[in-house]
Amino acid sequence: MKPCIALTKGRIEKQFLEFFQSLSYDVEPLINKGRKLRVETDQFSFVFAKGVDVTTYVEYGIADLGIVGEDILIEHQPDVFNLFPLPFGHCRMALATEVGKEWPERKRRIASTFTNITKEYFRQKGESVDIVKLEGSVELAPILGLADGIVDIVETGTTLKENGLVIKDEFLEFSARCIANRSSLKIKRDVLTPVIESFQKGVAVK
Amino acid sequence: MFLPAGSIDETGQTVDARSQAYEVFRNVTTQRNYKQISTPVVEYANTFTNEIAGMKLQNMLKWFNREGEIEVLRPDWTTAIARALVNQHPSQLKWSYQGSVFRSDKDGIESRQAGIEIVHTPVFLGEGECLLTAIHYLKELNISSYLIELGHTAIFDELTFPLQLTSEEVDQLREAMHDKRRDVVYSIVINKGSKQIADELTSLVDAFGSFDIIEKYEDKWKNNRKLLEIIQHIKQLALLLKDSGVDEVSVDLGRVKNLPYYCGTMFRGYIKGNGATCFSGGRYDKLYEQFDESISAVGLAFDVDVLAENIDMNETNQKICIVASEETHAYAESMRQSYPNVIVDIRYNLPEVHQFDKVLEIKKENNDYKVVEK
Repeated sequence: MKPCIALTKGRIEKQFLEFFQSLSYDVEPLINKGRKLRVETDQFSFVFAKGVDVTTYVEYGIADLGIVGEDILIEHQPDVFNLFPLPFGHCRMALATEVGKEWPERKRRIASTFTNITKEYFRQKGESVDIVKLEGSVELAPILGLADGIVDIVETGTTLKENGLVIKDEFLEFSARCIANRSSLKIKRDVLTPVIESFQKGVAVK
Repeated sequence: MFLPAGSIDETGQTVDARSQAYEVFRNVTTQRNYKQISTPVVEYANTFTNEIAGMKLQNMLKWFNREGEIEVLRPDWTTAIARALVNQHPSQLKWSYQGSVFRSDKDGIESRQAGIEIVHTPVFLGEGECLLTAIHYLKELNISSYLIELGHTAIFDELTFPLQLTSEEVDQLREAMHDKRRDVVYSIVINKGSKQIADELTSLVDAFGSFDIIEKYEDKWKNNRKLLEIIQHIKQLALLLKDSGVDEVSVDLGRVKNLPYYCGTMFRGYIKGNGATCFSGGRYDKLYEQFDESISAVGLAFDVDVLAENIDMNETNQKICIVASEETHAYAESMRQSYPNVIVDIRYNLPEVHQFDKVLEIKKENNDYKVVEK
């Protein structure tokens, strides 16, 4: 049976395909997949999903391997083997506030998609804050007065800048990572080990 | 009326398969001279959360009793059995149990287990008997495609001992090993100033496989008496399994304990078809230290829910319906003796034909009973 790889849709997908092609794997069916969410190549079965769902598919053994951002792994703590970093998908986690706005002295309200990471960040600082969960466009929250600041991933900082926000603190650095189902890695060792080794060689070259 | 999320009423094949798993387990363990033990479903939380048992209270179903003590629904059998066995006569060496455990961090809250505990027994005999009981049981359930994995807690302890890690660092490193997170393993150890141990532990992350891995590490550790003893012990167990007909024996030398009381060999069984873990266990002599006892103890628990999903429950018994009446019911009941290996149901009305292989109707004529096949 072909190894099944769950791949995070979007930016990580594009970067992974470049990486995958550099390892001389056939990426043609993956580039020309249209809107299909499941694609077979000669060697692999691929499923395309949101990052958090990639971890779920791998945890439940539907996919053997997964390619996902480390931010998702830290936030959701799936029960998977978190094997090694990949040479793409680099970003940081940052606390950002509106440019020129005073950081209030009262209890602060922070908006974030990453509520667990936010909670842990402020817990380590010894500060109690209210956390508002948002699903996206988190930069809007301070502008519209929903929150005093945001905790979000930052790649280049352009989105923050264009929305009048400034980084107050950066506290985690991530990249994409290769994860594996705990049973698959053992039971399908013969088919997964060559794939994992080729990824590791690719990482070493980069 | 509704049930809490994760709870469910079950009927039919699921319940039948689970009952069969329990029944076969009882037969196998009886044949192998295990004595059954049962512990209460309600226990004090401290039995499981103390420093030695080390389970997390947050994952237990708990409440305060009238005295303000925290009570829980049994989250783990091994710890409960250890508490109970301290009061048992040491001449009984082999114990078996079956029943539910309750954990809020698991799907479904309630999961069913059947397990064995072997105490006061030489190390290899106890561990071998655990594993041989496991393969005997799986064979009786007609589960043939599985993988047994062996590991050992002392490999990590031995390799990290020179680093003089704090308990927090040990936890971090153990977690990174558990997740096979090689970059973090390397980073933690290199920060402690030992490239040699960093390289050793990082390569251990990938040290899982079959006899090839055992032989590789037997050679690699030939000058380290403690590690050589461990790998040779694992090899001996693997050979015992191989000689007993197990096709696939695997080792994971980078495996670390996930509960503080494990102290030696660790076992795990995977169903090959779907990767589900069907049993796990290992040596836990340390668990008895909380009772000031020095005891050799090893055991494993089967996940009965996983086994039940993998049992082939094709019904082979013939099903017969006897249609009787109040007047002919006693005669119908007496007819059961004629069908010792057949499922016999007595009804007063004709059933739908597809429900039974044969339908017999009893008629009483002139004080005589006449059986007519429908």
